[in-house]
This record gives sequence, structure tokens and C-alpha cells, in this order.
Amino acid sequence: MFELLFKYRPVVFERGDFAFAAPWPVAAAAVAALVLAGVVAWSYARAGAGRRLERVVLAGLRLTVLALLLFCLARPTLVISTTVPQRNFVGVLIDDSRSMRIADQDGRPRSDFVAESFGEESALRKALEERFAVRYFRFSSAADRLAGPEELAFAGTRTRIGEALEAARNELAGVPLAGLVVVSDGADNSRESLSEALVALRAAGVPVHTVGVGLPVLERDIEVGRVDLPARVLRGASLAVDVVVSQSGYGGRRVPLVVEDEGRIVAEREVELPPDGEPAPVRVAFTAEEAGPRRLRIRVPAQPGETVVENNGREVVLQVEDRREKILYFEGEPRFEVKFVRRAVMDDPNLQVVVLQRVADGKFIRLDVDDPEELRAGFPATREELFAYRGLVLGSVEASFFTHDQLRMIADFVGDRGGGLLALGGRRALAEGGYAGTPVADALPVVLETESDLAGGVAEVKVEPTRAGRAHAAIRLASDEATSLERWRSLPPLTSTNVVRRVKPGATALLTGAVPDGGGERVVLAAQRYGRGKAIAFPVQDSWLWQMHADVPLDDMSHETFWRQMLRWLVDGVPDPVTAALPRGEAEPGEAVEVVAEVSDSAYLAVNDARVVARVRAPDGTESELPLDWTVDRDGRYRGTFTPREEGLHEIRIEAARGERTLGGAVTWVRVAPSDAEYFDAGMREPLLRRIAEETGGRFYTPATVAALPEDLRYTGGGTTVVEERELWDMPIIFLLLLGVVAAEWGWRRARGLA
Amino acid sequence: MSPIRSHPLVLASVGLLCLGLGPPAVSPAAQVGRGADPAAASERRHEFVFTRAIYSSGGPGRGWRGRSWATDYPKADRQFIALIQRLVGFDIAETERAIRLDDPELRRHPFLYAVEVGYMSLTDAEVRGLRDYLLAGGFLVVDDFWGSVEWRNFEREIRRVLPEYPIVDLPLDHPVFHTYYEIDEIVQVPGIGNALRGGRTWERDGRVPAVRGILDEAGRLMVLIHWNTDLGDAWEWAEHPGYPLRYSSWAYEMGANQILYAMSH
Repeated sequence: MFELLFKYRPVVFERGDFAFAAPWPVAAAAVAALVLAGVVAWSYARAGAGRRLERVVLAGLRLTVLALLLFCLARPTLVISTTVPQRNFVGVLIDDSRSMRIADQDGRPRSDFVAESFGEESALRKALEERFAVRYFRFSSAADRLAGPEELAFAGTRTRIGEALEAARNELAGVPLAGLVVVSDGADNSRESLSEALVALRAAGVPVHTVGVGLPVLERDIEVGRVDLPARVLRGASLAVDVVVSQSGYGGRRVPLVVEDEGRIVAEREVELPPDGEPAPVRVAFTAEEAGPRRLRIRVPAQPGETVVENNGREVVLQVEDRREKILYFEGEPRFEVKFVRRAVMDDPNLQVVVLQRVADGKFIRLDVDDPEELRAGFPATREELFAYRGLVLGSVEASFFTHDQLRMIADFVGDRGGGLLALGGRRALAEGGYAGTPVADALPVVLETESDLAGGVAEVKVEPTRAGRAHAAIRLASDEATSLERWRSLPPLTSTNVVRRVKPGATALLTGAVPDGGGERVVLAAQRYGRGKAIAFPVQDSWLWQMHADVPLDDMSHETFWRQMLRWLVDGVPDPVTAALPRGEAEPGEAVEVVAEVSDSAYLAVNDARVVARVRAPDGTESELPLDWTVDRDGRYRGTFTPREEGLHEIRIEAARGERTLGGAVTWVRVAPSDAEYFDAGMREPLLRRIAEETGGRFYTPATVAALPEDLRYTGGGTTVVEERELWDMPIIFLLLLGVVAAEWGWRRARGLA
Repeated sequence: MSPIRSHPLVLASVGLLCLGLGPPAVSPAAQVGRGADPAAASERRHEFVFTRAIYSSGGPGRGWRGRSWATDYPKADRQFIALIQRLVGFDIAETERAIRLDDPELRRHPFLYAVEVGYMSLTDAEVRGLRDYLLAGGFLVVDDFWGSVEWRNFEREIRRVLPEYPIVDLPLDHPVFHTYYEIDEIVQVPGIGNALRGGRTWERDGRVPAVRGILDEAGRLMVLIHWNTDLGDAWEWAEHPGYPLRYSSWAYEMGANQILYAMSH
């Protein structure tokens, strides 16, 4: 329609510059026009006949005609540069990744559009090839030249548009390039930013036109977005996996969310799907029974009619360790807690609780030590001795028992070594034991009140989980939240001998205790991260009542469950002197994997001069050695890379030594498989494609509008161009306007009865 | 720290107790609020309360008013409490407490002491109460019963409580003999009468003392049995000039060991 009235396409007006190309000087024309206009106006003003209004209207109409004629005589033109036919190249980059296989075009895959538009007989291809020398490229994780679109396979596992643009530009750098055309769904899943590539293209004057293929939102699809779970756990640990599920087309439906371990279902939960487009977090709990590297698959079974099925699940590797975690429980006076805590965890093969029990001044008994020398001199006096444990439970021991160095060492046990500290309640613990103002108080998650605020003293407290506590895996007493809360509420009250009312900012209160008769509330369980480790406070006197009390049935396992989970949580994530980390736990065959190790000595001080070696064992058994080098910018951190060729789980065993001494080792795993990133978040990304076009001076098209592309390329292109002038005086609209005004004047005069 | 070699320290402590003096085992600054008033003391929840079992005894109809449970009560208990504080630094209530076996309050006291069990005759409620107590994690020490007739009575009663667990002799390498003090012999602790007279230490036909026990599936002691011996009298009469120190020291060592065992195993 526009073209009909204005003679040219909108793109010509956008790109062209307006100018008058009059054969005589503009000034002379302007003077003549004014003179003429003045004569007309004067003649009308002088004529007496007719009313004022008529004279004004008629004068206006006549002046309009005059203006239009003058406009035409002044030869208006659009100055525009157009590409010279057949002298310029156009690069067509076609997305060859797996996401192009998604069948969201009425059941037909996106690649069909490519076949139709760039097939041998297609009009679009012919139009392009008439005007330009077309070079075809395909891109996914890398870009290559193509002889023709027939060679496309749509098997790429990643989409890297920025790299593709760079590659095409470089390849066509020596020829006049009219522009690049990118045919893609825009589902870029590279980690690099596009900005550099776009800036370079703009500087080179190469516009990029983008053709967006596919629906912005898949009509019927369920996607498991993100899966969050710890990298390693102790065998028998109960875990909570956080999963983000989003969907469109199935809102409100209930579907199962399944966790599989090597194909065997270990947990299942029914999920009500959120409204379209809204991601919903879901938590699934399960127990890690088997040791070793477990390949877990978290998925929602495919629902009927789903467009993409490959994004219904995610695979992760969970390292389940079968080790005996050593915890030191130091109790300042004989207490029944010692007996019942030992009993609760006696059967746990992964926990070893060593008890150092003070019986009288300077006199101790030791239980479950590894050898007669362990703790012979009492509480550890050196970092090496204390840091050999992974958890420290402090009972009712007054602060003055320790030297200042030992108190500092206990705080460092948490902060530097990354160990877990559990401070129990008791008449000699916490503020009542004189810990306020000590380094240990810094580590604790609760505020130790000063003397004046210790009113209240000993009180009975009814314990209940806080909101945060209800969701916390360590204090859950049953497999589902509701039953667990019920169990908590049925447990008998305990004795609180320490007045603890406040947690520190940054700490989390998990259990609170209500003192009867308006005595307020006390903190019963709180935790916080401190440095590399965690500190937990459990200021009660007698949790053993949860086992012994007459109201608790004999077969009730709440007390055992609570203590087992608490102690496992205490040592969870506590590092070894040598730890291995992989920035990414998955890679594709042929993709480099970065291996990072943190190395410290037995006092947990970072070591920068160690010999660190990683031994990589591929699934087929072949081993290779990879030395890791100190990164220089971080104490104790060593790095190296290797490139796996095979698919499957690769074991990476790291050993560190300094001189003759071995510092330790660590094992980690990397899963090597072709990436299925293409199937996630695979809707057509219009904002991204528009941005690419706009920043480089191109335009965005959809399959519906792409037919205009060849013609538009003439005007928007770079490369060899020629400047043209396009006449505007013979625009149909001017003729129509002229006709309209004359007809209006005639009509007015007829209506007024003038001659 | 290796468990204490017995005699020097214990003898000194016991001897000094007799003189009414003696160092506290824990520095005074660390002791909190030790009131002499029994009522006030019981207001505070103490970690350890010396608990004596009240049980039914004698023939039918006598019930707990038969009072064999109350032998040496409360003097033995008080004496024991007084001295044990000097050997072990822990939060023990100043006064003892006697509780019936069928009282739910029993479950708040995981250590229990019963004497003269040769006369025990439990009601069904008491059997249930004691059984639940022991299976939940409670620890029972029985003491002061002599001879085969009394043994048979006790055995019959305890079999009603724990039919599935056998009574075993405890070897001298059992942890209860080495928890704190090193005990390497079983000493027959005589009642006050025999002790003062000198001569034999045994009563009825109980010539040979024995320390026996009932263990749970994990090998932990639930019931500790002192037969043909009377620790209670030794505790009660320790400060009597005629009561030999050797018996009272052994009784106190055993007393400390069994409490510490009960609070850690």
C-alpha cells in the first residue's frame, strides 16, 4: 500500500536523504514563489465580492495548489546508496544446531523453513542469487563454509552466534560484503558476550539481518530448569535436591518428578505445575545409600503432546563418600548427653565420635580413641592435633579451662580449617561459662548476653522448629514436612540452662523453645557459616529426654535421627587438606576441562610449593597424568586442563606432596557427554536477534516477512554501492493531493454558488 | 589420661572425709549455686540425682510398705553423695530421690539404685515400668542381697522384667571396672555388723561375692548386680572409725565407676 502511494518501499525513505534538485537556484525559485503568492493574496483581498470566509478558503486552496506545483518543480529527490548488482557478496549463516529440529511450526521442524527458503527452487534463494554472490555458512559451536544448504544436518550441540559472525566476517573480509544474514532461532547458549562481534561488524559497515525461526514460547513443553544439589555427601545422608520446573501448556496439571540413580528410582514427588511461563521451585528429598560417583537423573516423564522431550530432565554426578568422619566431643563434666549421643550414633558406620570427658580437675577419660596415645595429654594443644578432627562438639566446659591460644585455635578450627563446631548448653557453657568476648564467641551463631541480661536462668522449654527449621534437612524427623512437624510437637520439653535469646545477623535459628508462663522464647538451635566452616549452637541441657522420657514410645527413633543428622550435618562439606574442584562438572568430548586443586598442610595453611599431579582415568581404562601448576594469584590453588576424547565418567585423582611428605589426595569425577543445552530454553529469542540487527544496521525478519529481504539488502547493504537519486515529483500521492485540492475548490465554489 | 590407680587418692579422700576435711574435686569458682537447702536444690534441675528404686516386696498384700527397698535409706545415699562429689566433678543434687518403678518420673533419672532385692516382689505395673525404663536406656544397680535363696528370688523377678536377656558374670576386663578407677579384684564388702566384729564378711550362704550383669544386644550394661556384698553399708558407715578403709574405698571406687559408666555407655 505504501509503495502504491509513495512509489518506493519504506526502507528507501528510511535510508535515503531528502533533497531538492532544482535546475535553477533555490533562492530565485523562492522569490518567484513569494511574489506569486503575494499577488494572489492581494487580488483576493481586493476583490469585494463574496464573504470573507469564502475568500479565505479559496485563497488557501489556491495557495496549496501553488505549493504542490512548486514542490514538484523544485524536483524533490531521495539520495540513496544502493548496492551494485552482482558486485557484492552476501554471507548467509544458517543455524545448524539441534534446536533447529524442534518441531514447533505446526508440527514441522524449524529446519523445514530453511529447506523451503533456501532450497534449490526457492524464490528467496533465487532473488538473493540474482543480486548478490551468496556464500553459505553453517554454525553451531563453530562456523564452516557450506557449498549449499543441502549439507545441513542440524546436529550441533551448541549455538554460538557471536563466534559465527566473527568467523564469517573474517572469511569474507577481502570482498565487498553487502551484509550477513543469520537464519536461526537465536537460542545462543555460549558463555561469551555478543558485543565484541557486533561492534566489529558495525565498524566494518557490515549490516546483519536476522531471520528468527521458531516460536518465542513453545506451546506445549515442560522443562526442568535448574538442579541444585551438593557435589558430595556422606553415605546414608538424607539430601534435599532443589529443582526449578517451568512449563507452558500444562498449567495446573500434576506430574511426577522422579530422581533416578543409574536408572533406579530413588525418590519421587508429585508436583503441581505452575502457570505458563512461571518457574516453580520444587524440593525432593532422598537418601544417598550407595557409595561412589552416582549418576543421577532428575526428570519429569514426557507428557503427551510435548514439543520437546529432551529438556524434561537433567543429569548430575553426585559423589557419595563412604568414610568415617571423626568428631571430637569434649565434655567438661559427666553428663547423660554423652551416653545418649554415643548411643544414637553408635550404629552409624560413617561417624566416629571420640569422647574426651573431664571427670575431675585435670582428670579425663577417653572413649573410642584410635590408639592409646590419642588425646593422652587432654584437649589438643596444637593445630595439627585438633585439625585432625572434622567436627568439634563442646559441652559444658568453662572458657577458663582453655588457654587463650586454645580458644583462638577453636575459632580457627572453624574459620581456617573449615571444620564444624557444635556448642551444647550447660551450666558452664556459652555466656554462663565465660565465653563472651572470646574468639569462640566470634564463631558462635548466637549472641552471648552480658551478666545483666542473664535473668531467667534455668527454665523448661517446649521446642519447635522455626520456618527455616521446617525446611532444613538436618532436623527433619520424617520424610515429609507435615509428619516431621507433628513429631517435633510431640517431643517432651527440655531444660535450658543458658539464656540465649538472639541469633547473630547472618545466622539462622532452626529451633526455638517457648518458656511457659510468659517467660518468652529462647534459641534452641542456630547455625551460621564462619570462615570456611560452620558453627552450630544447641543450648539445651538434656536432649536425652527425647529418648528416655515416659511420653516417648520405646520404638521412637526421633532422638537417634536427630543426632545422626546433626552430626552428619556438622561434618558435611568439611574440607580435607587437599581438595579437588572442577569449575564445571560436565564437558563435551573434545572440550577442555579445567581441574583446580586447593592444597594445604596438616595445619590447614595454604601451600604454594607443592608438587601436584592429577591422574585422569577414562572410562575405557586409559590413564593419563596431568601436572597442576600454582595459579600464583591465589594461595594454595593449582590448575591444569585436559581434553577428554571419550564419553562417560572420567575419574580424576589428585595427589599433592611437598619434598618427601605427602600432603594428601582427593578424587573427583567429570561427566563427558554431548551437551543437550540446545533443548533447554529453546524458544526463539526475538530480543536477541533484533539487537543483533539493530546494532549493526540490519533488520529483523520472521518467516512471514522474509520475502522482502533481498530487496532490502540493496538499500541497507555495505560493500560496493552506488549513490542514486530517486525522483519524488511523480509520486502518485502528489497527483492525488493535487486532484483533491482542485476538486475541493470546485466543490466549494459550486456549494457557494460562485462562478 | 589413664584411669586412676585406686588406693592412694581414694584412701586419702575417704580418710579426710572421716576427718571432715578434704579438697573439693572441682575448684569452688566453677561450682554454681550449691545451696544446702534441699527444697531449693531440687528446684534447679540437676544433671544427676541419686535415685533409689521403690519396689514392692514381701508376701502378697504388703506392697511397698514392706520397705526392704528403704534399707539404709537415706543415710547411705547422703553419704555417697557427699563423698562422690569430692571424687568426681559433676552436677549432682544434694539430696537423693526415691521413686516408684511404675512412676513415669522414673524416666527422668537414667541411673537407678535398688537394695535388698532378695525380697523384691513386683507388681505388673512395676515390671512394665522397669522394663520400659531399661529398654529406653536406663541403668539399674542392685546391691545388698546375700545367699542362694535371695538370689533365686531376685532372678525370678528380673526374669519377669527382661526375659530375653541372660544374666552373665562380668569379667574383670569389662569396661565398668576400668571406667575411671582401675579395679582388679572383687572385694566382698561386709555389712556394718560383720565389719565391726571382724571375722567373716559373708552372710547367709553367700560366701563368694559376685559382680554380674545383664547386657543389651550391643553389649552395653543395663543392670549391674552386686551379689553377696553390701556397698550401701560401706557408703553409709565409711566415717565410722571401726569400718575398715579397704572396704569403703573399694565401694566408693566401684560407685564412681558405675556412675561414670552409666553416664557414658
